Amino acid sequence: MKKLKFYIKIYFKILSQDIKSRMSYRSDFVISMIGMIFTNAAELAAFYIMFLNFPSVCGWTYYEMLFLYGFSLVALTPMQCLFENNWNLGGYVRRGDFIKYCFRPLNLFFYYFSEIFDIKGLGQLAMGIGTLVYTWHKLQLPVSPLILLELVIALVSASLFFIAIMNFAAGASFYLINTGFLIGTMSKFRDYAKYPVTIYSKGFRFLFTFIIPIAFIAYYPSLVIVRPDEISILTWLAPVFGIFFFYMSYKFWMYGARKYSGTGS
Amino acid sequence: MPGEIVGYLGPNGAGKSTTIKMMTGVLEPTSGEIIVNGKVPYKNREANAQNIGVVFGQRTQLWWALPLVESFKILKDIYRISDKDYKDMLELYDSLIDIGDLYSKPIRQMSLGQRTLSDILAAFLHNPSVVFLDEPTIGLDVSMKAKIRNFISSLNQEKNTTVILTTHDMGDVDALCKRIIIIDKGTMLYDDDIENLRQFFGAYRTLKVNLNRRNTEVTEKMRTEQLSMVKKILSAQFVNIPFTYDTEEDWVSILIDESRIPLMKVLSYLQEQTTIYDVRLEEISTESVIKKIYENNEKDRKAI
Repeated sequence: MKKLKFYIKIYFKILSQDIKSRMSYRSDFVISMIGMIFTNAAELAAFYIMFLNFPSVCGWTYYEMLFLYGFSLVALTPMQCLFENNWNLGGYVRRGDFIKYCFRPLNLFFYYFSEIFDIKGLGQLAMGIGTLVYTWHKLQLPVSPLILLELVIALVSASLFFIAIMNFAAGASFYLINTGFLIGTMSKFRDYAKYPVTIYSKGFRFLFTFIIPIAFIAYYPSLVIVRPDEISILTWLAPVFGIFFFYMSYKFWMYGARKYSGTGS
Repeated sequence: MPGEIVGYLGPNGAGKSTTIKMMTGVLEPTSGEIIVNGKVPYKNREANAQNIGVVFGQRTQLWWALPLVESFKILKDIYRISDKDYKDMLELYDSLIDIGDLYSKPIRQMSLGQRTLSDILAAFLHNPSVVFLDEPTIGLDVSMKAKIRNFISSLNQEKNTTVILTTHDMGDVDALCKRIIIIDKGTMLYDDDIENLRQFFGAYRTLKVNLNRRNTEVTEKMRTEQLSMVKKILSAQFVNIPFTYDTEEDWVSILIDESRIPLMKVLSYLQEQTTIYDVRLEEISTESVIKKIYENNEKDRKAI
């Protein structure tokens, strides 16, 4: 517990310094924020245009689909904000720069990710929450402490799945040399996460559930809220799986990091 | 011994950085055992890290975007340095070196020299018992090198910190180290006082000759010609006696083992064969001693 407090203190120390220095480049911050909003707005527009032509997709209405979309935006935020440094891992390992993280009396995983907090993710979070609130209202979903708690648990487990996928993809660079494509591909898969997995054929459904579990990023956890009468057993297992999967990715990442010896210098 | 500055030398690829990685707990030794401060570093990386400082030349460990002083504040928390110790250390820094505006400068905007200096300051901040410096003066200008050497040596005296230093710059060795360890291909070639090293090779002296007229523009071509000419003359006459040749500016330097042949004999023979415009005699430098050790080792290896 003491250790946890220590780590939280260090994290916020680094975070506050980082934000302070980032703020001194205000235009950089503003431009990347605008970029983020436009990217998401374009995706929303595409969504809207699609539904001008179809009233529903596999029995999912416009607002239900939009709910999934908002849910996935929120669930992707922790990866975007806290684990952004996964994207740089391959480069650090290839150039031998990763070694600079190995000399501090801190957990390697923690120290590595504490370096970067991607503030742009907060824009995405805001859009996601906005979409959720809007569709919640349109779908006339009930509001109670229990359902909100369910929502939070569903969101947390969904986040854990995506972080774990990215940890695996990035951590592979400790074992193999050129894995840049891997993390890019995995990140692309999240585009499929915002659709109900039932629209895919059997093979893909299996793939997205058990191999690259992106169906857990939005579909399974959000069933609890959108379609409580269709809940699959996987929905209930999502939090447990999420924690387990994240833990495995942590072990995979750390084992790789410990085995990694750094290139010659 | 605690408080020593040890020079850890070896040709490129000898295993210096690998040894440092093992001593810092990054890399697991494939065989044998390493003990740092009574602990096995690989098994206790985090605990070990609390008591050591590491600088890998040209690779800063500080936060790229942050001003130095902010990095220090984070390090203060990470290493749990008390307010008093932190304040004392900064005062000590101020008394040793003129840092001034460096504190408020982000690492990203620093020159290589300033960055290396910052990394060294950061490595000593938590008053570790051992500091590893891997090529700390690589790529730095003369005045920065001197500044860094002075700083390391006064910190070592002030805090009695053991410093393990790898370098290819004999200036570092001469300025800082009392003891040196030389390794190549993972095996130790030498581990002793630097004074003994010089005595060991005391029979060697360096003869420097210049075959070109003074104040003439010496081109690169003339240098190589003069070197090959000296080589040709000497190797024809003194068969079986090994010389080590080198060029330094306009000079050809010849390292002579006086237990094999007197230096004057070489000089007089050379003078008979060609015109020498200038001569210098030098005691062997650390640089040549080390070079000799590398070469001998290389030869032994081939002999096997």
